Amino acid sequence: MKILIAEDDQISSRILQKNIENWGYKAVLARSGQAALEALQDEELRLSILDWMMPGMDGVEVCRKIRCRKKYKYTYIIMLSAKDRKQDIIAGLSSGADDYMTKPVNFLELRARLKTGKRIIDLEDKLLLIQNQLKDIASRDSLTKIWNRSEISKFLSEELERGLREKKPTGVVLLDLDHFKKINDFYGHAIGDQALLQVVSRLKRKIRKSDKIGRYGGDEIIIILPNCGLDEIKKVGERLRLAVGKIGIKTDLDTVPVTVSAGCATSELPGTASADKLIKVADRALLKAKGQGRNCVVVAGPDLEPAGEQINV
Amino acid sequence: MSDSANLNKLRPIDFCDVLDRIGGDTAFLKELLNIYFQEYTEKKRLLEEAITQEDFKKVYELGHSLKGASANLSLSRLQRVAFALETAGRERHLQLAQEAARSFDTEVQTLKAFLEGNPTGKFV
Repeated sequence: MKILIAEDDQISSRILQKNIENWGYKAVLARSGQAALEALQDEELRLSILDWMMPGMDGVEVCRKIRCRKKYKYTYIIMLSAKDRKQDIIAGLSSGADDYMTKPVNFLELRARLKTGKRIIDLEDKLLLIQNQLKDIASRDSLTKIWNRSEISKFLSEELERGLREKKPTGVVLLDLDHFKKINDFYGHAIGDQALLQVVSRLKRKIRKSDKIGRYGGDEIIIILPNCGLDEIKKVGERLRLAVGKIGIKTDLDTVPVTVSAGCATSELPGTASADKLIKVADRALLKAKGQGRNCVVVAGPDLEPAGEQINV
Repeated sequence: MSDSANLNKLRPIDFCDVLDRIGGDTAFLKELLNIYFQEYTEKKRLLEEAITQEDFKKVYELGHSLKGASANLSLSRLQRVAFALETAGRERHLQLAQEAARSFDTEVQTLKAFLEGNPTGKFV
């Protein structure tokens, strides 16, 4: 683990460095407050020993600036100072330091206090890991592990904004498993789930890394395609349809023939300014595909009416 | 306090204390003392300049810095004089600052002479 030693006095700095290295840490040295602040841009530097009195920006100011930072992991700060009055200790801790030690340093005490700091950092890391895991769980569909509806809608909104900035179209393909209810009714839900998992697996193999796939509803899968216009989306839809329906899906009970219908739309179409509207347009195209006998792809046309109205596809 | 501990306090450097702080490494102590004397040469020049210009903030900062360095090496006599220098700077007292600067220099020479006869505390 790396530890920052921000200390302008060369002797103090050397003694601290030697001890810290003997204890198995890696020392990073800074001779001024500014240098300390720059060193702390390194995300791996989570433990720091700051001297109060330093030329230019002092330790208290460094501490305040560190505590104002956003998007950084927690930095544990031990403030060192020859100032040993109660009000100094209070001022040091109030600036955001986690701990305060007076000079000359008792190194057994410093070692123990660094261990405390490391414990806090480890604890924070564990909490962040769990937080990220929970966030991921909350963002994914529990069966297929692809993005859930709210997350994929968020992605689409972000992608539409980016597309607008970069003047690039965003495509959406909404797929629905044909007669999925019948599969569930005939084979049971466990087999239905197996079929759905296989469909997702086949679709995932046919999309680009930049594309996003999510479960929009029970048997509805949505795919977001950045930089994909009306010229290409039909081909993409066809490719996806064939990937699913070409060969039957092997399940524990039987090989089940599964096909999909697909509705495609892009942000080039009128009335598609928001994620909801674009999905609605793709959904109408999907309805049309279902109406045309299923196992086919329909792309919404440029002459469609604003959302909520009848559209021509 | 034992006799030897008392004796250590009277010496310009408390070898027991400083060696305890740096894990008994006498070669490292030598390196640190060299840094101390090198830094003092520069600080002495800055201190004289600050006193001439009556820059009390600078006097305070230099006093504070010398106090910290002296404390780290268990140079208690130098630490006390550095504290006097720091106080003179804080209280903007020119005469006290001049006296403390002179005393500090004398103590540094005393320390050097002591170390020449006893470089790593072998009599401690």
